[in-house]
Amino acid sequence: MELKELKEPIADIKNNTETIINVSGFNVTFGETRVLKDIAVSFYERQVNCIIGPSGSGKSTLLRSINRINEGTDQIDINGMISFKNTDIYGKDRDLTLLRKEIGMVFQRPCVFPRSILENVVFGIQHHQKLSKAEKLEIAETQLKAVSLWTEVSSRLHEPAHSLSIGQQQRLCIARALAVKPSVLLMDEPTSSLDPVSSRVIEELMSELKKEYTIVLVTHNIAQAQRISDHLIFMCEGKVIESGDKEKLFCNPDKIQTKTYLKDEYCDCNQ
Amino acid sequence: MNRKLTNAVFKIFVWAAMAASFGILLFLISVLFWKGFGAISFDFLFTPSSNFGAEGGIVYQIVGSILLIVFATLIAFPLSLGFAIYKSEYVKSSYVQNITDTLIYGLNGIPSIIFGIFGLIFFVNLLNTGISWFVGSIILAIMILPTIILSTYQAINSIPDSFRENALALGLTKWQLITTTLLPRGLSGAFTGLLIGLSRAIGETAPIMFIATAFSGVTIPVGFFEPVSALPTHILALAQQATNPQALQNAWGTSLVLLLLVLIFSIAALWRRVKFSKIEY
Ligand SMILES: Nc1ncnc2c1ncn2[C@@H]1O[C@H](COP(=O)(O)OP(=O)(O)OP(=O)(O)O)[C@@H](O)[C@H]1O
Ligand SMILES: [Mg+2]
Repeated sequence: MELKELKEPIADIKNNTETIINVSGFNVTFGETRVLKDIAVSFYERQVNCIIGPSGSGKSTLLRSINRINEGTDQIDINGMISFKNTDIYGKDRDLTLLRKEIGMVFQRPCVFPRSILENVVFGIQHHQKLSKAEKLEIAETQLKAVSLWTEVSSRLHEPAHSLSIGQQQRLCIARALAVKPSVLLMDEPTSSLDPVSSRVIEELMSELKKEYTIVLVTHNIAQAQRISDHLIFMCEGKVIESGDKEKLFCNPDKIQTKTYLKDEYCDCNQ
Repeated sequence: MNRKLTNAVFKIFVWAAMAASFGILLFLISVLFWKGFGAISFDFLFTPSSNFGAEGGIVYQIVGSILLIVFATLIAFPLSLGFAIYKSEYVKSSYVQNITDTLIYGLNGIPSIIFGIFGLIFFVNLLNTGISWFVGSIILAIMILPTIILSTYQAINSIPDSFRENALALGLTKWQLITTTLLPRGLSGAFTGLLIGLSRAIGETAPIMFIATAFSGVTIPVGFFEPVSALPTHILALAQQATNPQALQNAWGTSLVLLLLVLIFSIAALWRRVKFSKIEY
């Protein structure tokens, strides 16, 4: 049955979009602790797919399994299936470089390399294709405009990226990820280390980006999920409790735990 | 004792300790300058020695010492860099980490005369190389390996993991991650370690006196397996003829030249440390 799902992507009736990433029977164990338990969930193309849930519920672990950045971790054991555009991400001869080129990631804390702003934007893409100076500038302009950072930094492209504010650095990180031309952007609490104004800027950016990219967003912030998500996944203690349309989960959830969490930010999954 | 008094006593003690060590250093350096300065001249630096060093200059000793440490660098630097990268980026098991740590610290703790004896037995006798400056370079390289490895490893290991994750998430290969992100910082650590190691290596007598140097009749070597003369062993030879005032004078002069070379390395290491501590990660 799972295989059938892969061959015929499920159509989301309301938004009429297709799934791009499908997770099924997915388990992750760190040493003795099972962190993800039999996860089955789908992410929809060109939507903001939002994963919410209390701390330690395995949101980051799930997200980091999608681009296989987890793999370096000590004593990690992964089994199950994640497919991307109907191909197995954990397939035997999957090229990690190509996978991560297709599926970009933005982390909780912005991390700029000790180089200029321009060099940071092209840091990833320049390893995938040879770029002339003019092409680098062109890419930097396009991507910095896409994250609405261009007007702020166009005159100081050669200054160190560290000189930017934290909010600007995070947008630079998004531009850097976009420059590689992914189709999916994984974002792990991208606004949680930012001030409210910078957070709003990034939220607006995500709503803009979803026209071209699939976004998988992990957030602690229920209000943020309500503002920008299309598809909502509620996780608790390593399990997906409920997933579906944002309106459905906020207004009329199937599970009582979902209702309690969205209302009171409280979760007792074993009840 | 009340707290104020304890504080004052402690302060005085710390100050005295610092003043004492600084004073001893200053005393040594000024004696060397005072005694050695008169011996140094253009001729002294650029002519060969004669009469077992009592007359003439030390040009071959300077060339020999520099040759020894240049090749020690060529051997030790790439090895240490590779070792440090491997230890930091590829060794996952903490058991293997402990073994390499023990190895490195153990190597660092071996007295230098043991290196000399090892070189004598292994290279000169067993491999039949004869007295050779190149063997001396190898032994000095082994001796400074731990210093360079540790300082490189610490530099690389102190780079936060977020840089590794960010680079990999952009689709860089591990090799690209190493060359673009880890090596620049690692190299800077390696250079600092190298300079510290060299300032030690250039002054060592014990590891090279049996295997690499001869006291007289040596010129500039043309092959790998020939002896050289070096500054520290020359000082030893001159000190043994201390009854000859001319030889003693030259011993002071040679010591001062050696000290100046060490100072150059130390100051360069210090300068690097100050300059590169400003790079933020
Ligand atoms: N490298 C690791 N080694 C061992 N355990 C880990 C590791 N990474 C995560 N865990 C454990 O896995 C569980 C899930 O962690 P995860 O980071 O996925 O949670 P999260 O939902 O993202 O939490 P938060 O909202 O606080 O970021 C936690 O109990 C955590 O302690
Ligand atoms: Mg997390």
